[in-house]
Amino acid sequence: MSSFLKIAIRNLLKGPSTDPYPFGETFVPKGLRGKIKYNAKACVACRMCEHVCAGGAIQIREVADKSGLEFILWHNTCAFCGLCEHYCPTKAIRLTEDYHTAHKQEDKYRYVEKGFIKYVNCAQCGTPMVPIASELLNVAYDQVNKDIEKLRHLCPKCRQERALR
Amino acid sequence: MKKLLQKIAKKSPWLYRINAGSCNGCDVELATTACIPRYDVERLGCKYCGSPKHADIVLITGPLTARVKEKVLRLYDEIPDPKVTVAIGVCPISGGVFRDSYAITGPIDKFIPVDVNVPGCPPRPQAIIDGIVEAIKIWETRL
Ligand code: SF4
Ligand code: SF4
Ligand code: SF4
Repeated sequence: MSSFLKIAIRNLLKGPSTDPYPFGETFVPKGLRGKIKYNAKACVACRMCEHVCAGGAIQIREVADKSGLEFILWHNTCAFCGLCEHYCPTKAIRLTEDYHTAHKQEDKYRYVEKGFIKYVNCAQCGTPMVPIASELLNVAYDQVNKDIEKLRHLCPKCRQERALR
Repeated sequence: MKKLLQKIAKKSPWLYRINAGSCNGCDVELATTACIPRYDVERLGCKYCGSPKHADIVLITGPLTARVKEKVLRLYDEIPDPKVTVAIGVCPISGGVFRDSYAITGPIDKFIPVDVNVPGCPPRPQAIIDGIVEAIKIWETRL
């Protein structure tokens, strides 16, 4: 009985153990996997994320006017598994610590993360191509020198020609 | 008298949970909001109940598997109107990772009108609380 009283008194002095949320601030454990954020600037459209996505949440498609690629991620089927982030070579896709996902039914299909990659033209022949992100160069090379910087603006075909010259 | 009852009822919606074939992940998070003082949803004036006949806000988890479909729909029909429906987890909303499987008949909104979605696999207790707050707001307009 006395031990019970001790616990009761200790709990009384300690105050409430309830997390104040939604009336106050809450805590976020470090490394929590939440809603995904996409950065079109760093994306090289390798489509690895689309390929590995467990929930089939990602689609990368050419837009109707063929001016670039559109990235769409539907939060309503994302399992927060983190495979996309793990396999993305340039870390263009990341899981944030934002876990606030509640929304009304009418927004169900609007609850997406979007991005657009505009094609650039090859510096030599003018063919439209996906721009090569500097993030990718940093992964591929220790140091990006002038030659590499030049090759970066060429389409694969012209790059091959230049390299074999 | 009816007005007074409406006013009181608004402050205390009863929650009811339906498992439509979930993997149990979302249910554990729901149990967390009910049983662990840290995330106590009863602070919002609501309370989990054991009978569909008492329910005001319905929380559904799982992708509506073929096996439980009829039972879930029957149960849902037993809940008196007006009611607010909240889909918890990506499973009831889109099928989640089970999407396109022969074993599931969802998404749930093919058969049941949904009001609020709380995606996540599973969503955090705080996200579920967000969804319940949203549901209470809708509930107040329906009474
Ligand atoms: S976290 Fe998993 S389910 Fe979500 S987009 Fe990435 S790969 Fe797909
Ligand atoms: S987000 Fe990453 S994995 Fe997906 S296409 Fe872009 S670079 Fe590739
Ligand atoms: S959303 Fe994820 S955790 Fe919830 S029932 Fe479906 S698979 Fe399980």
